[in-house]
Amino acid sequence: MGGVYAVISIGLTLVYGVMGIVNFAQAEFLMIGMFVSWFAWAYLGLDPVLAAPLSFAVAFGIGWLVQGQLIARVLKAPSVAQIFLTVGLLIVIENGSLLLFGSQFRSVTTSYQTMSLSLGALFISVPYLIAFGMSLACGLALWWFMRTSWFGRAMRATAQNPMAAQLMGIDTALMYKIAFALGVGLTAFGGAVILPYVTVFPGVGGQFVVLMFTVVVLGGLGSVAGAVVGGLAVGVIQALSSLFFPIQLQNLILFIVFIFVLAVRPQGLVGASR
Amino acid sequence: MKRWIAILAAIAIAAVLPLLLSPTGYWIRVLTFTLLFAAMAQVWNIIGGLANQTSLGHAAFFGIGAYTSTILVLKFGISPWIGMFAGGFLGGIAALIIAVPTMRLQGHYFALATLAFGEVMRVIANVWTSLTGGPVGLSVPFVPPSIAAYSFKQLLPHAYIALIALIIVTFIFEAIRRSAMGYRLRAIKENPAAAEVIGIDTTKVKLQTAVISGVLMAMLGTLYAQVAVFFDPDTVFSAASISIRVALIAILGGVGTAIGPILGALFIIPVEELMNDLFSSGAAGLSQLIFGVILIAVILWRPRGFITVFDSLMARFSNKARS
Repeated sequence: MGGVYAVISIGLTLVYGVMGIVNFAQAEFLMIGMFVSWFAWAYLGLDPVLAAPLSFAVAFGIGWLVQGQLIARVLKAPSVAQIFLTVGLLIVIENGSLLLFGSQFRSVTTSYQTMSLSLGALFISVPYLIAFGMSLACGLALWWFMRTSWFGRAMRATAQNPMAAQLMGIDTALMYKIAFALGVGLTAFGGAVILPYVTVFPGVGGQFVVLMFTVVVLGGLGSVAGAVVGGLAVGVIQALSSLFFPIQLQNLILFIVFIFVLAVRPQGLVGASR
Repeated sequence: MKRWIAILAAIAIAAVLPLLLSPTGYWIRVLTFTLLFAAMAQVWNIIGGLANQTSLGHAAFFGIGAYTSTILVLKFGISPWIGMFAGGFLGGIAALIIAVPTMRLQGHYFALATLAFGEVMRVIANVWTSLTGGPVGLSVPFVPPSIAAYSFKQLLPHAYIALIALIIVTFIFEAIRRSAMGYRLRAIKENPAAAEVIGIDTTKVKLQTAVISGVLMAMLGTLYAQVAVFFDPDTVFSAASISIRVALIAILGGVGTAIGPILGALFIIPVEELMNDLFSSGAAGLSQLIFGVILIAVILWRPRGFITVFDSLMARFSNKARS
């Protein structure tokens, strides 16, 4: 699970790292990704995991519009306005999908759903393994993009110093659009990948929102490498707490870890590196 | 002088209004909740507006207040009036517990931490079944109507209690804003480092506002419990319908001003009720969707709230009068 947590959270951390905005609506894009993939499965017969790039593309498009039309206007506004713009976005997306798709739970059936591989005494469920593999591939692709491509470098420059980046001829508004679209796209990708073992409904984002924020805060807001570490850490915390505590208390443990980390080490476990 | 006349006139209108509404009707309920939410937003405004710390966890204190007074009635038969202060005390302690580690955090980080705290309280209330009844919720027991027992046949007294609560918290807000503490808070807001240098104990001042806000919010929780009569953890500890909503009301009206939360509540609560009414037969989620759209529109159009509309109208008016 940890690897998937990392991918859905990298999007959040990317948006924060480049623009300094905490997107409270991020988990809604997870839901969008899951729905796109579900429809691709139901009507096109596409395997949900193969539909992941499609989910990415749809969320990328929506993210592009949202950034250009809405968020760009509050980039310089007080943080209260930024917080509540994304909260408003959350309300709109969640209820919009409730209107469009109804409140029923949807899930997919795949041939490999119940399969598991045995590695000695260890059993690994195949859908989890596929999700992990896809997440890993996606994370590596992003890493490669940010390191080597011109866009990646320009985006990192914008994150460090928007003014200087602009003086170097970088279109920072475009960079923000790419960063936001890429961020929500990745989260949607993660949504598609987990569809084989998570049912989708309009409120599904709410189940992941704390988890995503915990991952990101554990790793340090804005740090992509941190999100990977945080994702794995949260996966481990969940697995361990399920051994010792009843299921209702698992989220509680996560919340407490979250507040604790915020209070003690708000820069995250990995430090302030971007 | 003019100011006082305006304030007294507003109070007089608010005092007469409940009498004009049908005492058993629907609108008196809307009015009561509008007044109550205005008071809650005003309390949020103490920390969110004056100390500039965007809390998204005020449901925690609110729920503590609702549960404390109701549990005291249920188990010991103690009047909610006393329970209200017990709840306030616990709310203050809860505020201290969350504020001590998080007050150094700013902006988004503080919002996230308080949001998580509200959720912690919700989960605890759901799990601690022996005390709270768990997800089933609690009903305020019926007792013969009397003022001492905080029990009334009709909603009218509740509307007046909510009005009085709103007036009290608004005065507290103004008193803090104008006090030395208010000036310290403003200094911190403008420039925390400079405030620290001139000898303001920034953490202490912020902690004070957090505790005051927590105490008052918990006391309002009791008022809510007495009006609503029934509640469960997911209503009183709700992030969306309590924490975010009260912050929203203050923000839409105008953060950091005494009139802002009142304007915001007068707008949001009736509009919400109206939309629920109009669209409840239609598709689920439509009223919430429209609500979200209004929120986004207002933030883009007036990031500092409705109050700026009035300000610019006033400015235009006085300019015209001069010329």
